[in-house]
Amino acid sequence: MKKQAMLGKKKLDAGMVITGLIILAVYAAVFILEQIMPSTSMLFTVLKKGATYALVAVSMNLLNGFTGIFSLGQAGFMLIGAYTFAIFTIPMESRAAVYQYYNGGILGFSLPVIPALILAGLAAAFFAFLIGLPVLRLKSDYLAIATLGFAEIMRAIFQWDKLGPLTNGSNMLHTFPNFNSFNIKNAAGETTVYLSTLIPFLIAGVCIALIVLLINSSYGRALRAIKDDEIAAEAMGVNLFHHKQLSFCISSFFAGIGGAMLAMYACTVQAKSFTTAMTYEILLIVVIGGIGSISGSCISSFLFVACSEWWLRFLDEKQVIGTFEVPLLRNGFRLVVFSIIIMIVVLFFRQGIMGTKELPDLFRRRPKTASQEAIK
Amino acid sequence: MSENVLKIENLTMQFGGVVAVNDLSMEINKGEIVALIGPNGAGKTTAFNCVTAVYEPTNGQILFNGKPIAQNHPNGKMKKLYAGSDPEKYAGKVLRHTPDQITKLGIARTFQNIRLFGGMTVFENVLTAMHLRRTSNVFTATLRLNAKEEKKMREEALRLLQVVGLDDLCDETATSLPYGKQRLLEIARALATNPTLLLLDEPAAGMNPQETDELSVFIRRIKEQFDLTIFIIEHHMNLVMEISDRIYVIDFGKMIASGTPAEIQNNPAVIAAYLGGDEE
Amino acid sequence: MKNVLPYLLSGISVGGQYALIAIGYTMVYGILRLINFAHGDVFMVAGILMVYISASGMPIWLAIPLTLLISVLIGFTIERVAYKPLRTAPRMSVMISAIGVSYLLQNLVLYVTGGLNKVYPTIPFISDSVTLTIFGATMTTKMVTVITPFLTIILVVALVWLINHTKIGMAMRAVSKDFETSQLMGIKINSVISTTFIIGSFLAAVGSMLYFTNYPSVIQTSGSMPGLKAFVAAVFGGIGSIPGAVIGAFIIGICENIIKGLDLILIKSGLTKKMMGLTTFSDAFTFALLIVILVVKPTGLFGEKMTDKV
Repeated sequence: MKKQAMLGKKKLDAGMVITGLIILAVYAAVFILEQIMPSTSMLFTVLKKGATYALVAVSMNLLNGFTGIFSLGQAGFMLIGAYTFAIFTIPMESRAAVYQYYNGGILGFSLPVIPALILAGLAAAFFAFLIGLPVLRLKSDYLAIATLGFAEIMRAIFQWDKLGPLTNGSNMLHTFPNFNSFNIKNAAGETTVYLSTLIPFLIAGVCIALIVLLINSSYGRALRAIKDDEIAAEAMGVNLFHHKQLSFCISSFFAGIGGAMLAMYACTVQAKSFTTAMTYEILLIVVIGGIGSISGSCISSFLFVACSEWWLRFLDEKQVIGTFEVPLLRNGFRLVVFSIIIMIVVLFFRQGIMGTKELPDLFRRRPKTASQEAIK
Repeated sequence: MSENVLKIENLTMQFGGVVAVNDLSMEINKGEIVALIGPNGAGKTTAFNCVTAVYEPTNGQILFNGKPIAQNHPNGKMKKLYAGSDPEKYAGKVLRHTPDQITKLGIARTFQNIRLFGGMTVFENVLTAMHLRRTSNVFTATLRLNAKEEKKMREEALRLLQVVGLDDLCDETATSLPYGKQRLLEIARALATNPTLLLLDEPAAGMNPQETDELSVFIRRIKEQFDLTIFIIEHHMNLVMEISDRIYVIDFGKMIASGTPAEIQNNPAVIAAYLGGDEE
Repeated sequence: MKNVLPYLLSGISVGGQYALIAIGYTMVYGILRLINFAHGDVFMVAGILMVYISASGMPIWLAIPLTLLISVLIGFTIERVAYKPLRTAPRMSVMISAIGVSYLLQNLVLYVTGGLNKVYPTIPFISDSVTLTIFGATMTTKMVTVITPFLTIILVVALVWLINHTKIGMAMRAVSKDFETSQLMGIKINSVISTTFIIGSFLAAVGSMLYFTNYPSVIQTSGSMPGLKAFVAAVFGGIGSIPGAVIGAFIIGICENIIKGLDLILIKSGLTKKMMGLTTFSDAFTFALLIVILVVKPTGLFGEKMTDKV
C-alpha cells in the first residue's frame, strides 16, 4: 500500500480531502458573505489585503523557507509589479489627469487586467533575473543586505523625474482598475453581484496553487536540497546557481503579481510606500506562519492583517470599563502590543504556527508520515 | 590493457601556505576498487574535493575517461573560466567545472561527515539525486506534464533503496536513521545520479565491526551490479585490504607508496607513517 | 573644486557620523555573525531620548551623559532579551529577531511621539555657525561639520587601543576569531558580547547627537536609512574590520553628498545645462556601490576570506 503511494499513483487521503473541503468552504463563505454583508465592513478590507499578503508571503517563503535564500528584496519586486500593472491599466481617458505633469505620459494604450497582471509578474521576474546574476552568488547575510539594497535602488529609480512620463515621477498613479471594478453592475449602476473580495482570493489561490505544485515537483525537491545542504545538493548534480536563479525569478514573479494586487487593493501606487519596513512585515508574516510552511504563511497573513488593521484597533482608542479608564491606550499602542506579540513568537515560538507542516498534515493520524509525499 | 577511468597528474592543492596535496599522480582503471589511505590530515579528502570540483586545484591535471576535467593553464596561471560540460571544446585552456557538472559527467560521491538532506525523507533524498537526469523543465514539472518520468524516477529510487536495504524506511526523515544506515543512504543517493565512478569518503566511519563486514560485501555487490569503478578513502584497514585491488598511500599530501594490498602491508614507509616511525 | 568643496565637507561630516554607527555593526557582526538590524533604531532612539530629556528642562551637560547612558542600557538590554536566548539557534532566527526588535523600537517611538516630528534640541557650541575659508572658498557651516571627523578619529583610535591593549579587547578578538574555542578557554562570552553592544550603542548615541544636530527633527523612521548606510559602509570596508568600517563610512558619506549636489556641480562647472534629478539617487548610490563591491570583492576592502570545510 505504502509503496504504491510513493510510486506516484495519486492517492487522496483524509488529510487532503479535508483540506480541500476547507478551502472550498472558505471560498464559498467569502462569496456568500460579500453578498449579504455591507461592503464597507472591515472584514472585507482584511480579506482583500490578507489574500494579497498571503501571496507575497508564500512567494517569500519559496525563497527563504524552501530554497534557503535569505532575500529581503520583496518590497522592490512588489513595487515593480505594482507600477507595471498601474502603468499599463490606467484607461486612456484618465491618463491626462494622472500624468498631469508629464503631458499624459508616453504610453499610447492600456491593457486589460489579466494580461497586465501577468506582465507585472514578468517585469518583476525580469528584474530578479538581472539582479540575481551578481547577487545570488553571495552568502546568506550579504545576499540579504544586497537584495534589500536593490529594493531601495528600485524605489529611487521609480521616483526619478526623468522617468516621469512612464512612472509619473514621485507622484501617485491612480484611477486604474481596482478590486471593486470586478463587481457586476446592472444597467442602473447598482451592484448586483459582489466579486471584489472573491477575485483577489482567486488570483492569490491560483498563484499559490502553482507554487505548491512547484514545491512538490522534482524542481521543488532540488530547491529543498539546496536549503538543506548546498554542497551535497551540488554534489548530487543540482546546479546551484541555475536553481537559485529559478527560485528567485519565480518568487519575484509572484511578488510582482502580489504588488499588482496591492495596487488594486490600495487604488493608488506610489514608490515611497514600498519601504524596507514592508519587506520586514512580510518576513514577520512568514516567520509567524512557520518558515517552510505554505499554509502557515497563508493563515498568518490573514491573522497579521486582521490584528494590525482590525482586531487590535481598540487599543488605539480610549476604552472605559465602567468608570475605569484603561491606561496607556492611545494612538499607536496597537502597534506596540503587536510588535511585542511578534517578539514573543520570534523568541519563544520559533516554529511559528505551523512549523514546516502543511494543513493536510494536521488531519492525519501519523503526523510524521512524509507530509510532502502525500500531496504529490 | 584496461582503460583509465580517472587519471590524476601532478595534482597540487595549496591553501595559503599549507600544501594539502603535493604533486599527487595516480590512475584508476575501469572496474577497479582503488583505496586512498593515509593518516588523518594527509590530504585524502582534499584530493576527492579536487576531483569533484569542490576545490580548484592549484596545479595539475585531472582526466576522466581520458578527457580533462581540471587542468592548469599552460602558462601556469590559474584563471577562472567557465568550461561548460564539453571539455574537448576547451582543450588546452583552463578548465573549471562546477561540482554538479562533474556529477553529470558520471562521478558521484559520498561525504566523510554525512551530508544528507536533513529536512527530507529517505525516499526524497534518493529522488532528489535523480533530478539531474531530468528531461522536464520547470513548467512541465510544475504542471505535472512529466508524470511518466516522475513515475520512472520513483520506481528507480525505490529500487535503489531496496538495493541498500532501506526500502522499508522510505518515509522516515533522513537524519533520524542510525549512523550506519545514513551512510548506506548516502551511497544510494550517489548511485541515483547514475555514476560510472563512485567516490566513497570513509563509508565505514562510525560503523560497528559487523556493519563493516557487511559493507565490504555490499561495496563489491554494487560494483558488479552497477558496473562501477570505485575510489575509496577509508581508515578501517581490514575493509581496505579486503576489497581494494590497489592502494595509494599519502602522507602530508605526498604519495608515499602504492601497490596491491599485500605490497602496502609490508611497505616500511607506510608503517612509518602510520606508527610514527623515525624521521630522517 | 570650489563647487565641490561644500559637498565634500558635509560628506566628510556625514561620513564620520556613519562611521560611528558602522562600528557597532561591524563589531557585532565580527563576534556574533549577526546583522544587527536594530542598531539603526538604537541610533534613532538616542535621538528621541535627547529630545525628551532636554525638553524636561535638564541642563545640556547632564542631558548628554544621561542620553548616552540610557542608549547604552537599551543596547545592552536588546542583546540580553532578544539575542542571547537565540545563541544556539540558526543565524536566520537571530536576524529575524533583530528585525523584530527594530520593528518594536520604531513602534514604541511612534507611540511615544504620536508619530510627530520632534525638533532636535540645540546643543551649544556644536550647533554654532562657523565660517571657513578653504582654498579661497568661503562657506558657512555648523561647528558640528568641522568637529565630527576629528571626534570620530579620536573615538576610533581610542577604540582600537582598547581592542589591542586591554584584556577585554583581547577577549573580543579571540571571540571573533573562534566563538567556541574562546568559550572553552574560559572567556566569558556573555560579558564580551555585552561589552560589544555597549560600545556599539555608545558610539551610535554619540553619532546621533552629531547627526541630528544637522537635521531639524527626529521621527521613528529616522534611524533606518542611516543605519542601512552605516551597515553598507561596514560591508564595504570588510565586515568585522573597524578601520574598514570607518574608511567605508567616509567614502559613502562623501559620495552620497557629492551626488546630492551633482546636478548643481555639473551646471556650475558648465558640463550640463539642465537639472538631471540625480539627487534622487543619493540613497540608491550607496546600495549600488554595495552590490558592486559584493560582486567584485565579497569580503570588502579589509575583510578576511573564510572557506567552508567540506
